[in-house]
Amino acid sequence: MFGRGLLKGLQVTWKEFWTPKFTVQYPEEKHPVPARFHGRFVLDADKCIACNLCANACPNRVINIVTAKVGTKKYLTNYVMNIQYCLFCGLCVEACNKDAIHFSDDFGMTQYFYKNIPLVLVDRVAPEAPPEDAESKAPADATDKAAKKTAAAKAKGTEG
Amino acid sequence: MLKTQTFSLNFGPQHPATHGVFQILLTLDGETIVKAEPICGYLHRGIEKLAEARTYTQVIPYTDRLDYLAAMLMNMGYVQAVEKLAQIEVPERAEYLRVITGELSRLTSHVLTTGVYALDIGGITGFFLCFREREKMMDLLEEISGSRMTVSYMRIGGVADDAPEGWLDKVDKFMDEMPGYIDEYDALITGNEIFQARTKHVGVLTQEQAISYSLSGPVLRSTGVNYDLRKAHPYSIYDRFDFEVPLGERGDCFDRYRCRVLEMRQSLRIIKQAIEQIKEIDGPIMAKVPKMFKPPKGEVYHEIESSKGILGYSVVSDGSNKPYRVHVRRPSFINLGYIDEMCRGWKVADVVAILGSIDIVLGEVDC
Ligand code: SF4
Ligand code: SF4
Repeated sequence: MFGRGLLKGLQVTWKEFWTPKFTVQYPEEKHPVPARFHGRFVLDADKCIACNLCANACPNRVINIVTAKVGTKKYLTNYVMNIQYCLFCGLCVEACNKDAIHFSDDFGMTQYFYKNIPLVLVDRVAPEAPPEDAESKAPADATDKAAKKTAAAKAKGTEG
Repeated sequence: MLKTQTFSLNFGPQHPATHGVFQILLTLDGETIVKAEPICGYLHRGIEKLAEARTYTQVIPYTDRLDYLAAMLMNMGYVQAVEKLAQIEVPERAEYLRVITGELSRLTSHVLTTGVYALDIGGITGFFLCFREREKMMDLLEEISGSRMTVSYMRIGGVADDAPEGWLDKVDKFMDEMPGYIDEYDALITGNEIFQARTKHVGVLTQEQAISYSLSGPVLRSTGVNYDLRKAHPYSIYDRFDFEVPLGERGDCFDRYRCRVLEMRQSLRIIKQAIEQIKEIDGPIMAKVPKMFKPPKGEVYHEIESSKGILGYSVVSDGSNKPYRVHVRRPSFINLGYIDEMCRGWKVADVVAILGSIDIVLGEVDC
């Protein structure tokens, strides 16, 4: 029959017209992402021992780790990811056996300026004296936290 | 008689119908094509060379970027080649997960091609229709691998992660719905009169031509040559599944398209069977592969049936932790080789139909 194709096509249009819509009002509403989603990285700085395994696992040398020597121990002072080269493959997350680096579900990583793209996960100064034992560890931890706070504030500043 | 003069027309490199950055230099006599010269290389990223500077595991994310529409299969070809080289036994559960995700990936690729081909011919509804299902399948892939397109899910010796809770049931449920969707494509696209008029008897390939140009995949099978690696030389665990190899008759654009649609139904069958069988298998998803992975000296070539055709990886090892040389036999690139003869004598509008029916992905062509 002449025009049967047209009718068939319109049939689909008619059916689709009445199906529920999936539109999400994006910036206000966000589509839920699965648990394994490869979004922005988060680092648990307390767990990280600056072993460089993640940096070595990365195919694109995205991760830069700077450590300082405090007493006999290594102290992580800088953890910067040049996220513009990242493949989001997850090899770094897999390589870390301290479970320190993770993906989060945050996918909004756009930046206005190129210099703000690198993800600064840790930026702090090394404490002067090594935390010798459990008692003297407390103040070091406190300075740690303060340093982290400033780092977080810094990171926020550069992101905005 | 009016004297005419041939002229050249650049089709691409920035044309939506070239499916990426690809140029065809057409020599035209009026509207008729005298010669079609494919020019590729605009997307060349040197992935084969990059692989030489990376460890075996680090190459996996790069293989995703070859055929990003069926990245899982690209992963699969590479890891299986390396496993063959180092003689690693892959746990059964991992094999099943590979088959399920690989076939899902093939489905996403075929669904996209179907939709985009409809768009090439001028039917935009078909495009939207196919994207609807593709999104759902990508959601499933995202749930298991964390990414939608460049999945990097497979690892040498297994897969990155087991299926999350309830994922297999979700896939199973979707596979039950999928035949209904494919019926819709058949009704809207395959049965469309304009679509048939534009594709039937266009760009015909004979069996001899297809074989002598070493074409593969649906492009080869559309001519009636029964050659599917999953059946001919079963790799992985494909010999455990019951499925058919859909064949075409004429080797024209329509047959190439139809082969893909029929193949989708076979992929559904494979996934359903694999889900049925995996439920009885519990165990590890990774073989014991040392952290400092160094395969023995040697050379290997391994090929699998990807969504576009035969995907082969040739890996040479010098005993270090980095491959000495990796070469990829990309089906899109080789299938493209016959484009000149296929286009000759046809009109400019048919070039779009012919190129779309070969189903190329430029990431793979240029590598
Ligand atoms: S996700 Fe991949 S590319 Fe990105 S930092 Fe980790 S290892 Fe490197
Ligand atoms: S592998 Fe883990 S512990 Fe080691 S440096 Fe990276 S994040 Fe820190």
